[in-house]
Amino acid sequence: MVSSRRPSGQATVVVLALAEQPATWQYAYQLCQRLDLNPGTLYPTLMRLADRGLLETTWESDLPAGRPPRHRYRLTGPGRVLAADLAAEPTARPTPAPARVVGGVGRRPRPQGT
Amino acid sequence: MNRTKRLGRQGGLAASAAAAAPFAWLWVLQMRNADDPLTAQARLDMAIWMAVFGTPWMLAAWLLWRAWWRQAGAKLATLDGPGWLLAAAVATLPGDRRDWGTAMTAELTQIHGRGARWRFAAGCARTTVFPPGGSRAPVGVAGALAVVAIAATALGAGAALPAGRVFALTFVGLVGGLATQAVARWGRVGGAGPGPAVAGLALAGVAGCLAFTIYYLAEHPFYDGVDLAVAVSLPPVTAVVLAVALAGCLGLALDPPRWLVGDRLARWFGIAMAIALVGGFLLDSRLVQPGLERGSHGMMGYLLNGPLLVILPGSAAAAAVGRSFRSGLWACAWAVVLAAPLLIAAWLAEALRWDQVGRGLVLDGAGPLGVGANLGNAIWWPLTFLALWALPLGVLGAAAGGAWARRRRAREHADVVPAP
Repeated sequence: MVSSRRPSGQATVVVLALAEQPATWQYAYQLCQRLDLNPGTLYPTLMRLADRGLLETTWESDLPAGRPPRHRYRLTGPGRVLAADLAAEPTARPTPAPARVVGGVGRRPRPQGT
Repeated sequence: MNRTKRLGRQGGLAASAAAAAPFAWLWVLQMRNADDPLTAQARLDMAIWMAVFGTPWMLAAWLLWRAWWRQAGAKLATLDGPGWLLAAAVATLPGDRRDWGTAMTAELTQIHGRGARWRFAAGCARTTVFPPGGSRAPVGVAGALAVVAIAATALGAGAALPAGRVFALTFVGLVGGLATQAVARWGRVGGAGPGPAVAGLALAGVAGCLAFTIYYLAEHPFYDGVDLAVAVSLPPVTAVVLAVALAGCLGLALDPPRWLVGDRLARWFGIAMAIALVGGFLLDSRLVQPGLERGSHGMMGYLLNGPLLVILPGSAAAAAVGRSFRSGLWACAWAVVLAAPLLIAAWLAEALRWDQVGRGLVLDGAGPLGVGANLGNAIWWPLTFLALWALPLGVLGAAAGGAWARRRRAREHADVVPAP
């Protein structure tokens, strides 16, 4: 189901970040780092976007033995349309926090395998 | 012995000790609170009774631990702190969010560094505690209705049934809370319910309890207690216990947790055991007890024998037919949940009949006390015996049935696959 409700500020940040490389599958921890978001904020946002049909999810298929498959995310068609609409509203567009290099979640360099 | 095995054994011992501790504490309490100094024989008798009830619980705790450890514990033993935190948090997620829990767990395996792992796990745990839901309007309406119902009960019960005020307020408050929670989960959980048989039996039991409790509170709010002192039929603590038990049974039967609804066979075994337990109670009360001498009758004996005759073999049969320890466990859980309100209602109904023919209290035939004395007995004794006696017997039965099924499976496997 695709909802026409306007996304929250955090959801807007995530949608715009995913729209930068719309064809590429992205990982949650990678998004945490890029957007300097805590997973406690990111995961509910991803869940809501998926519930509203704006986010597509899939599990990794080719992976080394012993490692569990990770969840990957990218925007659906309606998600990309929404991203384009959001990008066209410069005043409404929230500014993502600059990624830091050291510190907590979203502050460490991306680990190998992401 | 490797670390996993050692932890498993230590955990089993700790679980047994934890199960034994309340019984030991109860024994010490009884020794301390005795009015007169107790003889050595009295102390020994009390210790034997504690052992009778404590030993099944110790065995049951050990069996439950062992089953859990085989299933999940050994895997958990390999996790670090953040892994434990996330595993515990993910286990609380509703069914439709399970995939997200798996995703978080998989993501954690790719994060290195103690601090980053802790922060990630803590953030995910926050999400699992408050997962995003759907529209909040229905929840708000349900919550508002619950508050209105509590306020109406406070006014209505205060005027119409003062003796039942604590019970009514607690019961309506708990049911309102459970209903609000159910509305909050509605549409996200969806799908499997407990089925009409479970819901119908639970509703019948709770409705029967409510009807009899209201009747007792209206007609027999007090009774002549020890030394003819006037006693309250439903003291506040007993009222709260009844309200919690009825609301809990209603909540479990109408909106059961995911793990309880999966096994249909166990549900039917549970229903059959609950009916058998209550049917046995009524048969004993009507056919066996009238033939006994006054002073030697009472339903106390049935509370000991009924679970032995019904729950123990019933759980074993459920585990054997379902070919798993779990089937027996879930059957026992359903039996206890459904039997609790039905037994209380049956006890209260029989108490009125016993009183009419002058046979004293249902518990032990003691008298003459007012019929209102049965209300507290009908709540405490069945609930205590179901929790302390029927549940561990069910676990033991499930373990026996599960072991039998495992041996049978091994024999069948040996017949199919010839030895090289």
